[in-house]
Amino acid sequence: MKTKFLKFILPAFAIMMAIGLAFASETETVSRIGYYDHPILGVQSAMVSDDCKPDGALLCKFNGYQLYDEPSLSTELGKN
Amino acid sequence: MIQSRSLKHSVPYIISILFTILFLYAAITKLLDYAQFKLQLQQSTILSGYASSIAWIVPLAEIGVAFTLLLDRFRLYALFASFVLVTLFTTYIVLILNFSDFIPCSCVGVMSALGWTGHIYLNIFLVALSVVGIFFNSGKQKYFFKNTT
Repeated sequence: MKTKFLKFILPAFAIMMAIGLAFASETETVSRIGYYDHPILGVQSAMVSDDCKPDGALLCKFNGYQLYDEPSLSTELGKN
Repeated sequence: MIQSRSLKHSVPYIISILFTILFLYAAITKLLDYAQFKLQLQQSTILSGYASSIAWIVPLAEIGVAFTLLLDRFRLYALFASFVLVTLFTTYIVLILNFSDFIPCSCVGVMSALGWTGHIYLNIFLVALSVVGIFFNSGKQKYFFKNTT
């Protein structure tokens, strides 16, 4: 009984737990995408670090380009 | 003697179960949010050229190692693979934090709560854990090979 538990039940429980946790935390995923104006390619998207928020004091940049909250490039992203 | 033999079996087994949960969780969250994971790799100055292939290789390797850890016979190899994977992740995070212009957001799964610095500490702990697992399992594996050859 102990061998069966260690060989099959515990690994199966571990697998189910990992799958369950992954699906549970998937809904909590925060997707923050910022936009910047590339001189040749036009408006491009980029992943934004968590502390970059609209109207923050220290401007957030990607490869030297200012990041914005929307594709219309109206709200600048910055850190407080 | 009995206690030592029990430790040689139970310590690597518990560590393997923990790594299985961790790797499966990490792989599934990456695959569920594949587009975001790939985008983050593309924006990384170190890996941008290989983003498409790495976005598949990393979660598949994690799944492979996670299931191999559950097989008693291949546990030592899987623990070595876990050590290599976690060391690579730690090196990548250290490089990103110190030498990259752009730090990608830590926004997938538990990473959002942990942050990059917390993630480094967790990885260092995991590297140590894999070394402990290898240490205890290698003694057992020697015994296994001595009795099968």
